[in-house]
Amino acid sequence: MICAGIDAGSRTIKVMLIDADSLEIVGKGLADQGVEQDKLATSLFRRVLKSNGATGKDVAAIVATGYGRNAVNMADTTITEITCHAVGVHHLVPEAHTVIDIGGQDSKLVRLDGAGKVRDFAMNDRCAAGTGRFLEVTARRLGVGLDALGRLAAGSRRPAAISSMCVVFAETEITGLLACGTGREDIVAGVQAAIAARIVGMAGRSVEPPIVFTGGVAMVSGMTTALQTALGQAVTVAPEPQMTGALGAAILASKRLREATA
Amino acid sequence: MKTIIYTCPYVPAEWIAAHGLHANRLLLGRVDSGFSPARAEGVCPYVRSFIGEVMNNKGADGVVVTTVCDQMRRAFDIIVRHCDIPVFLMNVPSTWQTLAAQKLYVDELKRLSGFLVGLGGKSPSKDTLAQTMLDYDDTRTSVRLAREHLSARRFAEAIAAGGSFKGEAFGDGSSGSGHPQPIRQAQGSAALEAATLRVPLAIVGGPLMRADLDLFDMIEQSGGRVVLDATETGERGMCPKFDRRRLREDPLPELAHAYFAGIPDASRRPNNELYRWLKRELADRAVRGIIFRRYVWCDLWHAELGRLKDWSDLPVLDIDSAGDNAMDLPRIQNRIRAFLEMLQ
Amino acid sequence: MTHAPERITLEEWDVQYEKLHRAGMREPRYGGPLSRHVEDGDHRLGRLRYDNSAAALRLWNFLLTEEDRLHEARAAGNKIVGTMKDLGTVPVMAYCFDNVTAFYPDGAWWIPCVMEGSDGSLEVADSLGIDESFCPVRAMLGAFVTGAHFPIPDMLICSVGATCDDFSAIAQRLNGLGHPIFWWEIPHRRCPERDEAGVILPGGLTAPKSQVEFVESELERVKAALEELAGARLDDERLSAGIAQANRVRQYLAELRNLAFTAERCPLPALEMLIAEMLAIHFCSDRPETIAVLGELLEEVKVRANAGLGVLDAGAARIFWVNPVADLQVMNLLEDCGGRVCGTEYLFTHALDAIPQDVPPLEALARCALADPMAGSSIDRAERICADVRRFGAEAVLISRIPGASHCALEGQVISEVVAEQLDIPVLEIEVPPVTDSMSATLRTRLEALVETARCRRRTTQGIRRSG
Repeated sequence: MICAGIDAGSRTIKVMLIDADSLEIVGKGLADQGVEQDKLATSLFRRVLKSNGATGKDVAAIVATGYGRNAVNMADTTITEITCHAVGVHHLVPEAHTVIDIGGQDSKLVRLDGAGKVRDFAMNDRCAAGTGRFLEVTARRLGVGLDALGRLAAGSRRPAAISSMCVVFAETEITGLLACGTGREDIVAGVQAAIAARIVGMAGRSVEPPIVFTGGVAMVSGMTTALQTALGQAVTVAPEPQMTGALGAAILASKRLREATA
Repeated sequence: MKTIIYTCPYVPAEWIAAHGLHANRLLLGRVDSGFSPARAEGVCPYVRSFIGEVMNNKGADGVVVTTVCDQMRRAFDIIVRHCDIPVFLMNVPSTWQTLAAQKLYVDELKRLSGFLVGLGGKSPSKDTLAQTMLDYDDTRTSVRLAREHLSARRFAEAIAAGGSFKGEAFGDGSSGSGHPQPIRQAQGSAALEAATLRVPLAIVGGPLMRADLDLFDMIEQSGGRVVLDATETGERGMCPKFDRRRLREDPLPELAHAYFAGIPDASRRPNNELYRWLKRELADRAVRGIIFRRYVWCDLWHAELGRLKDWSDLPVLDIDSAGDNAMDLPRIQNRIRAFLEMLQ
Repeated sequence: MTHAPERITLEEWDVQYEKLHRAGMREPRYGGPLSRHVEDGDHRLGRLRYDNSAAALRLWNFLLTEEDRLHEARAAGNKIVGTMKDLGTVPVMAYCFDNVTAFYPDGAWWIPCVMEGSDGSLEVADSLGIDESFCPVRAMLGAFVTGAHFPIPDMLICSVGATCDDFSAIAQRLNGLGHPIFWWEIPHRRCPERDEAGVILPGGLTAPKSQVEFVESELERVKAALEELAGARLDDERLSAGIAQANRVRQYLAELRNLAFTAERCPLPALEMLIAEMLAIHFCSDRPETIAVLGELLEEVKVRANAGLGVLDAGAARIFWVNPVADLQVMNLLEDCGGRVCGTEYLFTHALDAIPQDVPPLEALARCALADPMAGSSIDRAERICADVRRFGAEAVLISRIPGASHCALEGQVISEVVAEQLDIPVLEIEVPPVTDSMSATLRTRLEALVETARCRRRTTQGIRRSG
């Protein structure tokens, strides 16, 4: 039997299918989020099932997580993304003590205990300045793709200081910097440093390693380096960083199934 | 009877009432209640709401603002310039350990008396003040006793009702003063069992607004229950019980002592008393998690978040609010849900 | 003065330095080329423009070597007192003791600007939960944690009450980190009520006698604490002598401000004037040297003013500046845009007004402390600004908001309204974070617009006069 996790994020929907017993990944998929969240989630779910030779009958339990989880009608239950990310990361990197998740529109820092349970967490879900949105705005303003940001940042000799707390005004600042002749490298490095600084603010005085980085922004080159510089510690990108929430949801679905049948 | 509005817990309602005026400690409405400063950024949503409330208030005959918070101090300047309602700025000292600070507080009460008399109030005799203090003390006792019989939200509402709370309208609809039906009888054992299974939490922070009371419901829906309301509008902001012997001897010093020395707050310098109070209350009520509720741009409380996390062994959930409840609601629900998942 | 006054870059200063030396310039022991400070990490210096006089060089070297002096004072066995928030009162007492050196840890707010963020102090503040929603003075926390700048003081004395919340909160956070603080209360200054005796304060304000007495009693506590630290008594005679010295500084500054703000051509740039005014607060850890530095600066300005020489064009728009800036470069920017500073209110006018010498000294200090613009209403502050605008003939008012500062959000509105009502001159608000590089284009547009508006109104007024 299969257990499924659906992470209905603010920017993308992720589906993860695992074997209910072995917890091995059976299938996965990702699609852009939209207005008709349930329809999009259902469509993706069916596609992933089909592409792995499975049907709905093979699915024993579904947990939805993420910003849009309550819109996923087919889910048996919903669990917040904090818990799901923690479970997903613990499954992939059992020794992890800190999870930093930066998505399109929010960021979180989750502290885990030795058993992988959430000990504490902090979130920035009010301000776009510490999220992937800021990188998107920057990339667009600089006329480059997200995949080019790391290369650009690596060439920075003096990261620009971005003052604004608001990404809208920060966009104006980027324009101003370009007008003053500031190099794109320094601008990108400055933006990445600003995002990393927000994480430091959430982290407080101590961050227990190992630190695992998840979320779509973990796949943006240069961000891991920026985080490492800001935290003064090594940061590891989780395998499949965008999928850890969905994986955790699927694992929790499996757990619920076992508890129900026990 | 003329009405005096205020929000600060260091303004003794008894003092206003003893002057023959109606003391109305406001539970503020939404932040977009009518005042638009030149800039919203940097202005605490609570202060914005307060200014709006004062500007639009048709029933108030006087306003008392205190210096506990710098933004409120500036709000006074705005109100004085833009509003016709007489307004009094009461200087509540930040230091509290010196005799000079304690005397300053008493002197400010006397000065407030002058303001109240100017509005038609009457300077109270000792007996009048003493009786008023006893009445309010009894009311607060009723409220405190009612805590175990009320939901957290209802308890918060009862505190906010202040002097108008007379043990009315418990969940079972009983009325009368002092001896409500125990909740187990009113709501049945299932409700009691459900309440007991919920994770006991504390909510800590500055003042809440009316819409914030939804927080208590959100917490219960997610499997928690607030057993300690340590917000300014909650138990923390309630004056402790008077020493009745001292009250009878000389009520004004007892009033000043109870309020000034008895209400711990983040604004005190130093504010260690707040942590001593929290330590005791958190332990007494077996709290398992702290919900830290603050406004964006409230520096006094924001600065305590890091310290609270360092100080407490309990998990702390930060809920920052810009006062826009429509935008805040889903975020807050999500955070509370995640917090309870963690604790459960 | 041996050369035409102008604003020059740091590189040009190296050349100027050689010229001045050849011309026989004598420097104090802390002297030397300005560029050497960049090697210490003060990168911002490379982007600023400076007055080209020997007096200005001495001023800058004096400012930029304060940390050295503090460390030397510690090494010599002096007690170091960190006075916080009161901006000008407690150091007057502290410097009466031979073995006490006082400074303002608040001044650390400029470290992120001067070091262009390389110091890490703001990041330390972030990690303590004090993020950018707080005033840049949060850098002070970083400075205490790293210990990389000033020596950790033997005593911290902080005023609270009628002060700004973010400083109060930051100080409390510092206290929570294990730094004991001696707190003293400054009440919210108000007018005397009908049945109260009133006292005239420096700057023309009034307050009830009871408030002055209260502050005096608080300063009595501070004095006792200083006496215990210093192991010596501070009697009225010594305190009066200290007040007299402080008044020398204030007198020099009064003359300097009057000349600089009213001369037909601006004789000293805004940045040097800002630094000079700041010396009134804590004497940059050396009171006699402060007097010497200001004396030399005043002489330079007198010569320039008498000769009709200045560092800016004659037609520069006369701008009254409200609030200190977290990024020093913005002072240059106003002048680059065609403005000149004619009047300032940097939140410490009580440190510029003369301390009364006809009343007992502690009472005199109490009156000064109570005259703090932060201690009273924004309306009082606005009234003083209007009076000074008239005095200095400013044509517009510029309010530089300090990001995150609790008082700025609403105060700016009150000041703007009062100025508009009383003076009918343009008022502009800008926000100045510690590093404004990315916002310079936006700021420049605003400042240029203000200057254009002021000049246009000038032409209009002249036109009306001619046609009338």
